Amino acid sequence: MLGWLRFLLFHRRELLQLFAEHLGLVVLSTALAAAIGLPLGVWATRRRGVRRWALGAANIVQTIPSLALFGFLLPLPLIGGVGAPSAIVALVLYSLLPIMRGAYGGIVQVDAAVREAAIALGMTPRQRLLQVELPLALPAIFGGLRVAAVISVGTATIAAAIGAGGLGEFIFRGLATADNRLILAGAVPAALLALGVDGSLGALEAWLARRYKP
Amino acid sequence: MNFSRRAFCLVAGLVMALGAAACRSGPRLVIGAKDFTEQIVLGELLANAARQRPGAPLDVVRRFDLGGTLLCHRALLAGRIDVYPEYTGTALADIFHQTPPADAKAAWRAARADYRRAGLRISRPLGFDDSFAILVRQSMAKRLHLANVSELARVAPRLRAAFGYEFFQRPDGYPGWARAYHIHFASPPRAMALALTYLALASHRVDVIAGDSTAGRIQALRLAALRDDRHFFPAYQAIYVYRPAAAPLLAPLLQRLQGRISTAAMRAMNADVDVRHQDPKAVALRFLAALKR
Repeated sequence: MLGWLRFLLFHRRELLQLFAEHLGLVVLSTALAAAIGLPLGVWATRRRGVRRWALGAANIVQTIPSLALFGFLLPLPLIGGVGAPSAIVALVLYSLLPIMRGAYGGIVQVDAAVREAAIALGMTPRQRLLQVELPLALPAIFGGLRVAAVISVGTATIAAAIGAGGLGEFIFRGLATADNRLILAGAVPAALLALGVDGSLGALEAWLARRYKP
Repeated sequence: MNFSRRAFCLVAGLVMALGAAACRSGPRLVIGAKDFTEQIVLGELLANAARQRPGAPLDVVRRFDLGGTLLCHRALLAGRIDVYPEYTGTALADIFHQTPPADAKAAWRAARADYRRAGLRISRPLGFDDSFAILVRQSMAKRLHLANVSELARVAPRLRAAFGYEFFQRPDGYPGWARAYHIHFASPPRAMALALTYLALASHRVDVIAGDSTAGRIQALRLAALRDDRHFFPAYQAIYVYRPAAAPLLAPLLQRLQGRISTAAMRAMNADVDVRHQDPKAVALRFLAALKR
């Protein structure tokens, strides 16, 4: 244990850089996935076709092994290739399902009586969504976001397979040389990062809940 | 005439039946292999040679897909397996922690001595070398007139490279190699999964990778291996490592395979499995059939 800590200290600059890369991949991909997935999830509550196709596609993507997905992305222009773009595209695709499911489920489970009351008050569909449905769906939406972000921290370790860096580099190097210290130098900070990301999103949720009390 | 033929059939049938009965309780050979295609093909070659042994076929147990060099070595020492395929350079570097000599003969002799001290024996070289190969696209090699690695140094500042993690970590990998050839790429080479570097090269995302010299994909993806003209990479000659107790059973089988598997033949067999998705056993049987008994 002490030996391992000394090992970490020796590699601290590299560790910091890889940690920052890892965090960057997770934040960027989760933000992009939220920007795409939240509107799609809301739209899916309004149209059956969207629900079927968007959720179905997200389900299928979830079953593709990440190395195979990288294999498909490699030859593509713009979104593919070697390095961060491919990794971010893959992470966004994997994050879509929990985010869409959270938003969709959150809004669908809003009590019909509450919705009717809002209509009776003469609220426009837009007001209803922003002032009633979304605030009530907040816990479910954040549930999806937190699951997506935590999974992303884990999946982002595979980004090292396509040259996008991150803590996965330590893990891959450790595997190549059967060096457990290196594997742990990647895996332990990644686990801590997952806890940190989940905690921060929880704090954000609490703050939003206080601010937009329905 | 007719009678003698019938008698011959009867006797032959009896002998075969006896042979089959004897083999059930007869000697057994446990063959190991690491978890990649070439090792499994080499394991199948030995297993099927054992089944085809003149006289009685040997009982064979396959313990393939063992995860890594050290695992195989420990299994062999513990008597859990009798034999497995290995490479002289890998054995010297990873098991015995020595710098493998560049000369192939010297490496084989050093490996034999180390294994002897560990109470194990090795076969003569099987005939091919599974070393790192510096790979480029055939089209680029032709356009830039590249045949060996020292010519690559000239154009490297315009090229991009990606290597597997192992190549970065090994003493006989990237840092030493770049120093030996004075190679500087346009940007620092990327580290990525070995399997993906082949795809990245074929789809023009990078220009130089380091693969296995016997990889089937070299032909399939129209890649060219550059000659290691300064002999930087140590010899990785393929051998079988075995327990002395299994030597009497193995001797005739090794006699049949030693020095008979060329680099081209190994590459073709790997391609049959990896690219044309054939069964390793079928590939091994075909090679043995082509091989004179």
